[in-house]
Amino acid sequence: MKLFYVIYLLAASVSLTGQAADLPVDFNREVRPILSDRCYGCHGPDAHKGRKAGLRLDEPAGASKKLKSGDIAVVAGDVSKSELVRRILSDDAEDIMPPPELHRPLSAADKDILIRWIKQGARYDPHWAFVSPAAHPVPRTPDDAWASDPLDNFLRLSSRKAGLPFSPAADRPTLLRRASFALTGMPPTPAEVAAFVADPSPDAYVRRVDALLASPRFGEHLAVTWLDLSRFADTWGYTGDKPMFAWPWRDWVIRSFNDNLPYDRFLTEQLAGDLLPDPAQAQLVATAFSRIHRMTFEGGSIAEEFRQDGIHDRVSTASYAFMGLTMECARCHDHKYDPISQRDYFSMAAMFGDMDENGLLSFHGEAPPPAIRLYPDEQGRTKEARLQAAVRAAEQAVADLPLVAAESAVVVPAALAHFPLEAFTKTGVDDAVAGRPAAHFERHGSPDDLQLVDGVQGRAVKFDGDAGFILKGFKQLGRLTPFSFSAFVRLGERNARATLLHSAGFYTGDGDASGVELLLVQGRLRWSVIQLWPNDAVSVETLAEMPVDAWRRVTVTYDGASRAKGLRIYLDGKAVEIRVVRDSLSFNPRDNALEIGSRSRDAGFRQGSMDEIRLWRSALTAAEVAVLHGIAPEALGSDLRRQHFRERSDPAFAAAHAQLMKAHLTLAEHQQKAPAFSVMRHSPLAPKTYVLTRGEYDKPDLSKPCPPGAPEKVSAWDASLPRDRLGLARWLTDPRHPLASRVAINRLWAQAFGSGLIASSENLGMQGDLPVHPELLDTLAVDFIRGGWDTKAMLRRFLLSATFRQASTPTAAGLAKDPANQHLARGPVLRLSAEMVRDQALLASGRLVEQVGGPSVQESASRRSVYTFRKRTAPPDSMLIFDAGSREVCQPKRLNTNTPLQTLVLLNNPGFVEAAKQLAVRVSQTSPEPAEQILAAFRHICTRDPRPAELAALTELYATQQATPPQFPPTPPPPAPAPPVDPKAKKVAAKAPAPEPSLPRLSADPSLAALTMVCSTILASDAAVTSR
Amino acid sequence: MPTPARSYDDLMRPTRRHFLGASALGLGALAMRAINGEAASLPKGTHFPAKAKRVIYLFQAGGPSQFETLDPKPLLRERHTQPLPDSVRQGQRLTGMSGYQASFPLAGSFTEFRKYGKSGVEYSDLLSHVGALADDVCVIRSMHTEAINHDPAITFFCTGNQVAGRPSMGAWASYGLGSMNDNLPSFIVLVSQDAQKDQPLYSRLWSAGFLPSEHQGVQFKAGKEPVLFLTNPEGVSPHARRGMLDALGKLNADQRAAERDPEVDARLAQAEMSFRMQTSVPEVADLSAESPATLAMYGESVKTPGSFAANCLQARRLVEKGVRFVQLFHQGWDNHGGLPGAIKRQCLQTDQASAALIKDLKQRGLLEDTLVIWGGEFGRTAYSQGKITKDSYGRDHHPRSFSLWMAGGGVKGGHVHGRTDEFGYNIVEDPVHVHDLHATMQHLLGVDHERQIFKFQGRYYRLTDVAGKVLKAVIA
Repeated sequence: MKLFYVIYLLAASVSLTGQAADLPVDFNREVRPILSDRCYGCHGPDAHKGRKAGLRLDEPAGASKKLKSGDIAVVAGDVSKSELVRRILSDDAEDIMPPPELHRPLSAADKDILIRWIKQGARYDPHWAFVSPAAHPVPRTPDDAWASDPLDNFLRLSSRKAGLPFSPAADRPTLLRRASFALTGMPPTPAEVAAFVADPSPDAYVRRVDALLASPRFGEHLAVTWLDLSRFADTWGYTGDKPMFAWPWRDWVIRSFNDNLPYDRFLTEQLAGDLLPDPAQAQLVATAFSRIHRMTFEGGSIAEEFRQDGIHDRVSTASYAFMGLTMECARCHDHKYDPISQRDYFSMAAMFGDMDENGLLSFHGEAPPPAIRLYPDEQGRTKEARLQAAVRAAEQAVADLPLVAAESAVVVPAALAHFPLEAFTKTGVDDAVAGRPAAHFERHGSPDDLQLVDGVQGRAVKFDGDAGFILKGFKQLGRLTPFSFSAFVRLGERNARATLLHSAGFYTGDGDASGVELLLVQGRLRWSVIQLWPNDAVSVETLAEMPVDAWRRVTVTYDGASRAKGLRIYLDGKAVEIRVVRDSLSFNPRDNALEIGSRSRDAGFRQGSMDEIRLWRSALTAAEVAVLHGIAPEALGSDLRRQHFRERSDPAFAAAHAQLMKAHLTLAEHQQKAPAFSVMRHSPLAPKTYVLTRGEYDKPDLSKPCPPGAPEKVSAWDASLPRDRLGLARWLTDPRHPLASRVAINRLWAQAFGSGLIASSENLGMQGDLPVHPELLDTLAVDFIRGGWDTKAMLRRFLLSATFRQASTPTAAGLAKDPANQHLARGPVLRLSAEMVRDQALLASGRLVEQVGGPSVQESASRRSVYTFRKRTAPPDSMLIFDAGSREVCQPKRLNTNTPLQTLVLLNNPGFVEAAKQLAVRVSQTSPEPAEQILAAFRHICTRDPRPAELAALTELYATQQATPPQFPPTPPPPAPAPPVDPKAKKVAAKAPAPEPSLPRLSADPSLAALTMVCSTILASDAAVTSR
Repeated sequence: MPTPARSYDDLMRPTRRHFLGASALGLGALAMRAINGEAASLPKGTHFPAKAKRVIYLFQAGGPSQFETLDPKPLLRERHTQPLPDSVRQGQRLTGMSGYQASFPLAGSFTEFRKYGKSGVEYSDLLSHVGALADDVCVIRSMHTEAINHDPAITFFCTGNQVAGRPSMGAWASYGLGSMNDNLPSFIVLVSQDAQKDQPLYSRLWSAGFLPSEHQGVQFKAGKEPVLFLTNPEGVSPHARRGMLDALGKLNADQRAAERDPEVDARLAQAEMSFRMQTSVPEVADLSAESPATLAMYGESVKTPGSFAANCLQARRLVEKGVRFVQLFHQGWDNHGGLPGAIKRQCLQTDQASAALIKDLKQRGLLEDTLVIWGGEFGRTAYSQGKITKDSYGRDHHPRSFSLWMAGGGVKGGHVHGRTDEFGYNIVEDPVHVHDLHATMQHLLGVDHERQIFKFQGRYYRLTDVAGKVLKAVIA
């Protein structure tokens, strides 16, 4: 049996290869792709239930281990003893590997590679991308004279091996078009082409490249790829899709490219700008990279689920963008292919989940905190810091005032509102204070839901948990407004959560809590003033639980000074022990009416009762609270009486307090001029991170806490690094990191040459493609680091290389030998992106409005496409059709397709038709001769001159169209005069369907109409949508 | 000299360039060449003989209540207003909308159920038209899904994943099987204009995700421009457009010769197809040629452009022309409150036309290989959201069990699959996950859901992720 098997093997081996059986195999290039794709899914790094038969093939120890079955998968050098070989050659469906249900059988060549590999000693090499890049010596070739940059030598070596001669230099118009698109995303103008063609100086091209690098269009163009990766958009993306204030971050990206911010800083500021010492506003803005993922406010959403999804998005986006790794698989299980464990994933999650944040967006769309005030310049921020210091100083001045031994009479101020709750009226309950408005039943319009029960003083109201009262006129409870509430309260059960009082208005969850709020949380009273929960709020909570079935007078006060220490809770007239839950309030809450006993979509005061509700727009002193409860002033300690004197009668305190409030108001006034902008902010209050079982948000495995960290098998973590996002940035930008520099170089390469040196630019892991020119990639990566991560310098090298300057037209032989132009023995060809196609048309039409930065705009504004408003749930149609994405999640690469809808965009989209019309007008003014006009139009769009056949086709088109003047449909009758405005008819009018947008229209002038059609045709031609 | 104008038929006759667009895979075939994809990513066609060639998915967005449509629960009527027993809920999560309610009163259906056809399957009176076809229809009462909110749930249903960016069902069908018509897109989306727009829809639901963009659903709209940018600018006649395309052909032919780039051919083929679409789309969108009898079958609202009824008829015309996947969306089912009135309206808008679509397909011999599916992204709770009043109640989202129906395309008629407990809260028999439904749909299309894959970012993706089993029991 065994002998037969060996003979079979030998025969198979020979027949499989048809070549010398000992041709050396390359593990990384030949073996690993097979093992990874077909085997690692079951026999790879995933240590959990994923690994079958205890066999692990991704490392030598595992592969050569004696298995439970007694077999050894890989016996180095011994094909006949290697179970792997027997299994891959088996024709028994039960036995064969990979199993048929994988649907990815091994080819004969694959089997041959594996067998030869084992025969040659089954040597494992580390995955190329997990080894630090090293510079390689520049190869010498007989074409050294042709080369103008070392990169040319590397490429020449490989193209010579492939039998490809290099191509002649591209003509100047073609070269300038290529360079302009690569660096600015726009073509040159005919004047620029003419000047370049006429420039006899030897450095004419170098000067053009330098000018392009210096153009503000450079940043606008380079930003686009980054905006795809970082899923930048102008809306939040889920249901409802509210506007997201993110464009200042987009401008930061553009400015960074234009200012040539070194890539290591570009990376560091986005990942950890907030952790840099004394960060500038721009460095905080940069961190929005991790904040502009989608967020929902859909009613009923669970905050923790979406907080985890947000963190997940940050981790995946940063992994793609800076490492070219798909980390997201490891959320649910150890990565099947790459050395990333589930723990590694959650260590990264701990890095990016280091904020005290709410997973939900507020229904009202405010910038979700943590946020900064965004000033037009650093001066605004300096002033803010100065005013903040003034507030702190004023706070200190108040705190430093000695308590003087003086007393004054304690008289409880008259309540602003007082609800004795003795009886229901038809609509609610009356206020005992003369002239004050009643409180109304809220949500459930009938008193059936609320009961009158015996109270402390007469009757009281018992709540059912769903219904309550609203005080419609009681509004404007801001963070700088003092306020007090007092009532007798009786719990009917130990409420896990109950709303006693709030001014949050329309509420769909904690993301909407904004205002004052008195809650019962696990039986404890929690008293808060909130802009948005949890991280822009002051909040305190009692240490003791409230008793059930006993009346207590609950009094809460707030002094309007934006600090937790200004929040007090009293029971039966006495202050109780509290803990501070949150102490960071800097924005004003929304302005809504007070509601008592209930809140929409929240737990109301179920089974609870209240009596004698009183409200003040001032903070009662502790002594007043005591007296309110009937405690005699004499029974109070002297401290309380002195405190009372101080707060009510001490002129020094009054002055200091006035000073504090003034400082607050001055600061608020300055801040309110600046919008809130969401940034990253590390917080010790961030929830701890645990491994989530199967990645599910509600299944944290408390036995597996995950401190912040990075996948250390990818690159070692230096113990001196801080375990936070700043440490992560340092880890990534360490010259030894194997991925960061390669990913960056690959992306820059694609910028110049159309596609990267690694075809799977989004994945450098085991399942990714191998680089076509690994030595070149690594050498460039090392050069990049040594040169200070200088993006412009690297692109300059690419553009000045002889490789870039070649003509792109292949010879027939060149096309046959290298159809995909992997060896770059000819220049790159680029299908223009959605942005380039549109910007080119705008530029040609003369309508392009050039202005760097600012809020995003509609397409009709004729700005560059990078500024087009991106609504995630409804992205711009014509851009989607040209392969742009929705920017909902990180998009590392766009596909490049040809569809009929693209032709429809180019010929019928109003923007393109308008561009054709304007261009027709423009060129018609340059010459009366149609041939001259056509020539000019062609140059405007395609840069080069038309070839004779092209000119002939367009001239014929012009003649035909001019002789058949455009036919217009009859003009519709003017709309009937609007009927007199009847205010009652408003609703009906609003329902009338919006008129369909009118189609673009040709000029009635036959010559201009014909010229427009010529321009449209040029815009739709191959020469227009490519750079060659 | 202008060339003499040609007749319209001349214009439509294939020119020497048309052959480039004529391919079994239609729209996408040539474009595929432009993709830097791996061989493993190329369309596979069917893996085994298909029972269904095309799909019409009548998506009822918002989550229709199963209790007033397809899943009768007499016990809820008996216990109307009584609290939901904790033993039934088992502490399962609720949305933040009703989760804090002080009580969870059970709500019995306000409408009656009765048995229909030989099979005796029960339908509510609100679905009497579809009920009348009970013997052709298969009801699944044991659907369940993972998400509890609209956006994640509808994204999950339409793309197999809550995470944005995955290809939709129709995009997969288009990618895997291509179109059967060279002049129309293979995946078309129709959104009802007469629906209550309670929860928004988004292009993500018919997106191509990471598949090539030609597989993205193309939305047909009522009105003079059924497909975006289909209509020539005013003043450009079809003849003039033909002239432009002829000139474009010459430009590109010259470019092809000068640059030796086969991509140029692909671009030209797509340009020619755009021209053919300019005729084929308005033609297929023109419902005026339908017989009065057909129109009557779909009901009065078929005359309102863009209504659900008109879209059903439109869907039939599209599949007749070989469109692979047509997905209708009808909003308005998110009935948190005032459910009786709202669901009456919803069924009035959709029941007759849905039934008419089945009958219409059947009388044309298309039903046997056209799969029709009706359902939403999740179901609704057995208890009322908010208080039950004399004649009203509401229901919150319920992903743990809900119902839908399927017809044609190789599905068993007169069949009920799966069962929920007597509260309609938990599934007690034959649970069907969304992945299972997708697997079954693909199976009926002749596709093994485990083999229709696309490699992206180093991972193999499929509509059913890593799960899904084919429901053999519903297949005839």
